[in-house]
Amino acid sequence: MTGGLISEVRRSSMRSAASPAVRPARDHIPGEIGIWLFVAGDLLVFSAFFIVIALGYKTQIELFTQARATLDMWVGVLNTLFLLTGSWFVAKGVESCRETHGVSSHRYFALGILCGVLFVANKSFEWGLKISAGITPLTNDFFMYFFVFTGIHLVHVVVGLGVLLVARGVSRRPVLRAKDIRTVESAATFWHLIDLLWIVLFSMFYLL
Amino acid sequence: MQPTKSDSLFRKSMKFCAWSGYMAVIFYIIGGVILGGMTPPLLNAGESPEVFVAKITENQFQLQIASIFMMISFALFGSFGAGIAAQTRRFETNPVFSYVQLVFSAGGMVIALLVAFAWALMAFRPETYHPTVVMMFTDFAYFCALFSVPLFGGWCVMIALPILLAEEGREPFPRWVAYANLWAALLYVPGQLILFFKDGPFAWHGFVALWIPYIAYFAWIWIMSMALIKVANAKGNEPLDTRLSAAAVTA
Repeated sequence: MTGGLISEVRRSSMRSAASPAVRPARDHIPGEIGIWLFVAGDLLVFSAFFIVIALGYKTQIELFTQARATLDMWVGVLNTLFLLTGSWFVAKGVESCRETHGVSSHRYFALGILCGVLFVANKSFEWGLKISAGITPLTNDFFMYFFVFTGIHLVHVVVGLGVLLVARGVSRRPVLRAKDIRTVESAATFWHLIDLLWIVLFSMFYLL
Repeated sequence: MQPTKSDSLFRKSMKFCAWSGYMAVIFYIIGGVILGGMTPPLLNAGESPEVFVAKITENQFQLQIASIFMMISFALFGSFGAGIAAQTRRFETNPVFSYVQLVFSAGGMVIALLVAFAWALMAFRPETYHPTVVMMFTDFAYFCALFSVPLFGGWCVMIALPILLAEEGREPFPRWVAYANLWAALLYVPGQLILFFKDGPFAWHGFVALWIPYIAYFAWIWIMSMALIKVANAKGNEPLDTRLSAAAVTA
């Protein structure tokens, strides 16, 4: 995930010179500047969310500790695994588009999408269990933050799935132009952002 | 940017639309922030109706003046949105997104005007209305402003799509503007939480549900107004006679 982001940048700078579709290695930014502005903006807002959670924890340590113990950590671990694996497939998809563009390109994206769908299914399962046990966002402040912030993240995942579908569609084209590579890279960057945000949410809700 | 041929009015029209955006932000700051008590919120979703009435009665005249400023601010969304749609239209052979944008901007303006209407009614005669009615006007104002995520978010997406889908060099606005619009649309999302909470950061007076969408919305207007000014000043968009005289000087 963060590794995904970093390796994405590194890979692109190493390989872009070999590909006629992308700009020279030195000044190549994966995707385009706009998507990085978006990433920076979203990180800024999520940082505010993380501060809200931390302040909640600080003011109600006992309640947060007790409520946290009721979460099934392995559901969170499984979701992390889905997103990390999905990010790996997406990174492979981008690599495939840049280098040996062929059938494998869109298959990697399809596998990335599958991982995203599994994440959504697992999250729905986790939420369903909690709600059927009578735990809702109104139960206490911990679950209010839990449902709302993981819900906002879930909105990102759903949007990300749409973005990956676009990337998959583009990667099916027989010949990829520089514009197509840019689209695929921007989509991957957004997907890695989702991954990064989840890692922090996972740590704050399940581990700390 | 596409040349406007003989349209000597274009630059002035675009600047008018851009200034509508700037003025909308300025009038909101006067009406909603300095006078109106909308942001930061004078009222609190968790308070009793009697507290609402007490606070509103105490600040009645101020809130009434604020409603007028807010009404002017929100009415300006129309010309601001039309400017964005007009620029999008210039790059379409068969107009689609420009029309969709107009629908969204008209809808956005009307819903925003309802915020000012509700605010004005809230401050009209709080001592006569039943306290729960006064409370409902306040709720209605915040619901119009914050709960309307698909409308205002959809407007941003409809601005972003024709930019992202355009062929290289045929974008109505720079590509980063599209991402700024998508970012703004995502930031409006927490506004929908106000339906479920009456206290804390997700209620209509809270940090997440009120401040984040509001700051994003007015920052978005400012960014789009800057983009419109840039369009107006872009080379090729100057009035024809200016270009002719420039060409004569060069010759």
